Amino acid sequence: MGENPFARKRAVLLAYKEQRVRGRKYAHVGLKLRRLMDPGSVTELWQDLETQDPLQFPGYREKLEDNQQRTGARDALMCVKGTIDSNPVVCCELSASFLMGSMGSVVGEKIARAAEEADQDKCPLIIISASGGARMQEGMYALFQMEKTAASIRRFQRHGGLFISILTDPTMGGVSASFASLGDLILAEPDALIGFAGPRVIAQTIHQKLPKGFQKAQFQLEHGFADRIAEPEKMREEVLQLLRFHVKGEKTLLRKDLPDDECIQQAPDLPDMVKNHGQGEGHRGQLSAYERVRLVRSEDRPKITDYIDALFTDFTELCGDRCGTEDPAILCGLAFFGSQPVTVIGHRKGKNLRDSLRFNFGMPGPGGYRKALRLMREAEKFGRPVITFIDTPGAYPGKEAEENGISSAIAENLAAMAELRVPILSIVTGEGSSGGALGIGAGDRILMLENAVYSVLSPEGFASILWKDSKRAAEASEIMQMTAPELLDHGLIDGIIEEPEGGIQKEPGFCYRRMKEAIETFLSDLYGADADELTERRYQKYRSFEGALRPVCKAAGGPVLKPEESFNATLQKQESDI
Amino acid sequence: MFRRILIANRGEIAMRLIRCMKEMGIESVLAYSSEDADSLPVQMATDAVCIGPAPASESYLNQAALVEAAKAASCDAVHPGYGFLSENADFAALVHENGMVFIGPDPEAIRLMGDKEKARELMKRNGIPTVPGSDGLVDTAEEAVRVADSLGYPVLVKASAGGGGRGMRRAASRDEVIAAYQDARAEAQAAFGDSSVYLEKEIVHPHHIEFQILADRYGSIVQLGERDCSMQRRRQKMIEEAPANFLTPKLRAKMAKAAIAAAKASGYVSAGTVEFVVDQGGNFFFIEMNTRIQVEHCVTEMETGIDLVREQIRIADGMKLSIRQSDIHPSGHTIEVRINAEDPQQDFAPSPGNISFVHFPCGGGVRIESAVYSGSRVSPFYDSMIAKLIVHASGRQEAIHKMRAALEELTIEGVRTNIDYLYLMMFQRDYLLGQFDTSFIEENTEKILRWEKACRKKAGLTG
Repeated sequence: MGENPFARKRAVLLAYKEQRVRGRKYAHVGLKLRRLMDPGSVTELWQDLETQDPLQFPGYREKLEDNQQRTGARDALMCVKGTIDSNPVVCCELSASFLMGSMGSVVGEKIARAAEEADQDKCPLIIISASGGARMQEGMYALFQMEKTAASIRRFQRHGGLFISILTDPTMGGVSASFASLGDLILAEPDALIGFAGPRVIAQTIHQKLPKGFQKAQFQLEHGFADRIAEPEKMREEVLQLLRFHVKGEKTLLRKDLPDDECIQQAPDLPDMVKNHGQGEGHRGQLSAYERVRLVRSEDRPKITDYIDALFTDFTELCGDRCGTEDPAILCGLAFFGSQPVTVIGHRKGKNLRDSLRFNFGMPGPGGYRKALRLMREAEKFGRPVITFIDTPGAYPGKEAEENGISSAIAENLAAMAELRVPILSIVTGEGSSGGALGIGAGDRILMLENAVYSVLSPEGFASILWKDSKRAAEASEIMQMTAPELLDHGLIDGIIEEPEGGIQKEPGFCYRRMKEAIETFLSDLYGADADELTERRYQKYRSFEGALRPVCKAAGGPVLKPEESFNATLQKQESDI
Repeated sequence: MFRRILIANRGEIAMRLIRCMKEMGIESVLAYSSEDADSLPVQMATDAVCIGPAPASESYLNQAALVEAAKAASCDAVHPGYGFLSENADFAALVHENGMVFIGPDPEAIRLMGDKEKARELMKRNGIPTVPGSDGLVDTAEEAVRVADSLGYPVLVKASAGGGGRGMRRAASRDEVIAAYQDARAEAQAAFGDSSVYLEKEIVHPHHIEFQILADRYGSIVQLGERDCSMQRRRQKMIEEAPANFLTPKLRAKMAKAAIAAAKASGYVSAGTVEFVVDQGGNFFFIEMNTRIQVEHCVTEMETGIDLVREQIRIADGMKLSIRQSDIHPSGHTIEVRINAEDPQQDFAPSPGNISFVHFPCGGGVRIESAVYSGSRVSPFYDSMIAKLIVHASGRQEAIHKMRAALEELTIEGVRTNIDYLYLMMFQRDYLLGQFDTSFIEENTEKILRWEKACRKKAGLTG
């Protein structure tokens, strides 16, 4: 033979090498997971589980072995037990490097086992997904894994478990349409393709033209299907932060001393005002109702983000109603008040025209209320108090809002808040108008800033309904009895937080301190209270009929509350103690 | 010291013996079959004598011809190598009767250890753990069932005269015992002319660990550490290494002690190997003792720096061991692979033929034992092993990397070999992690073969 005697050897070795390089390139099963976990804490579970190739699908076994050999894993999912900053977790990674991360029996089985394991250990479950969907080679066996994983995840969640789902590029088909979308919290990596039907399938089947950025992580966030977008490098911090709001260590003790921030230090020593304010004549700085309306609508009045910055730490925004909308007019998130985790919900308004437009002038649509409801439920599940900030001219009165069921969304919130098994504090900071305000405002305790207004409708709306002339808003304001003192007089709110002369913006630090005190009082009164009693009191609070008669009577079957036990009475007592 | 030694063997072990004898200043006389007339050892030995035609029964197993050749060449000793007549007590006795030295243990020791059942009895008496089994031979099928029931399943029915898996049957449950018993008896009768069998409990997925020992005529016995021979296919060893990383120092010391006790109990002299199986729980059991120099003896030589063949010849010549136990310090890690002329894709069928081209790897820590050269012939009459490749490095991972490099270099054209199969084995995750037992090769072979086939196809090679 004329060729070099090493030629054949060389050709084969090159082929082996190519195969190995290909393997290394894709050998990433478990890589993201390792970045998340504490080094050395990881114990892999069920790593030997292998599919039996139930359909004896032609070529499947070869493909599996090829992937096994390339990745060093038995199937696409790695499941481990370990810790993240010493918090025990069960964590899985579904990796696109193994048969495109498709879900067959092994992946489904391991997800179900992981959920059961986390349930048994009472620790959070984290699943990082990257998948093309169900595994075609396993047919209906693969399809049914969707139900199996969804069922086991939901059972784990019903038992109080926290499931954080992390979506990476790509998360599609049967995986995105099962466990991956069921996270109590859903994080997505930037630019990850996330969806059900792939863009090519859509383009080829129904020939729909798809917008730029379609199905990317940002698209999913804007449509309410992800809580947050986080860079892969920051994922560990991100997850850790979320865990801190959820992990139940020793019962968190509420900090009795308030944080010393500068603005509070600088606040002038003004007389205490959080008490039976405005009962009759004699309180200072009498502003007319309409002056108050204009004051609270001014752009330089603090907005929700200012209150959050002043009152809380580590605020972490959570987005999306999971029904197709992320409404920026309502801001939701988790934060610490001192060392106590709380859920914060409120209307968001802009400080300039551009922001105001972006936040739709603080007028939420149905998605906003549904998002608030979702996060109130999340707070309820994890026993976290809810604090809402109200500042809205009303729910958005547009066409889309009606089409998407604004009435239904608000009604659902009212009903749900009545039964929420954690304490709710509502603070009206600006204008509270109509159902748009009450939709997140039906708390155990309602407080108002001194100049805030709260009414059945905006004065403009009131005037247009009663007098067919919205220009008579000022006149309407005066007769609507919408100011804080008036409402306290009626017993419709529970307290007033005084503002300095000229409004909160003149001396915000003073107000913030009063707000902190009010929140602290609220928490020490109600956090940890028996949930049945709490919801019964709330029921009775709204069950009342005009101030003089309340509280009315027990609800059928509910515990009988003596008047002195009623929430209002408790508050009155608290206040006289100050 | 011996002046001339007859080598009653062929191939790589003949070359190994010739080299050693040259170093020691001893002349070698190679006994060869007409089939091997062109082989390398014939050229390299001091002298060579044709002792018969190709079939081993008429040449390498022909005791009378061998003894005559040795006498005619004025040899004072005969080295049998491994295989062929190396563990044949009659041949050892015949050599002695003709006034020459058989390089190996005494015929009695060979005979004792050749009778697996008697050997087991001896070890049991001397407190060395053996695999639970029948008390002595099992003479009836009914007794076999009774014993099997008491041992618990699975059980093995083994020919007393057997070895290398022949005359052995497995019974996974009670229903299979009678058939296994009858088959084993029939095969033992056909293969060894002795149908006696005994029963043993099967240790499932054990590690196969053997200890190398050297014993002289003056009561000195040393052990040179273990070899892990768990990488077997159908009981044929494929890859051997030392040390066995899964042994704890405590377990290793306990087994070494048992190995020396075993040699002592049988009054053993010469180089030998005590074989154990170790179960998943770290319990070890004596299975047999090999009374020859073994194929994988080079692994221990690389670990300890001691020339086992040289020691074996010295012992046979009535000299004392040149080393004490305290001189033996195994170091680093050694891996040996057996290069066979066979086609892994055809169920490892032998692939005899002409070797058109051969290139052996070189470099520090790389050792080749072989008798093939470009233009040599691989005979269909004999064992298909054509070379051993041994690498030694500071640690196991380093040794595996060296083995990969050596296998990339090793090129043999003209016959199919298992070189690529072994090469791909060096990339198996569990092997790299040291997680393997005697079931490993069986469980991983199919996968490797598929990989090999796909890549060969990609490289434009068929078959």
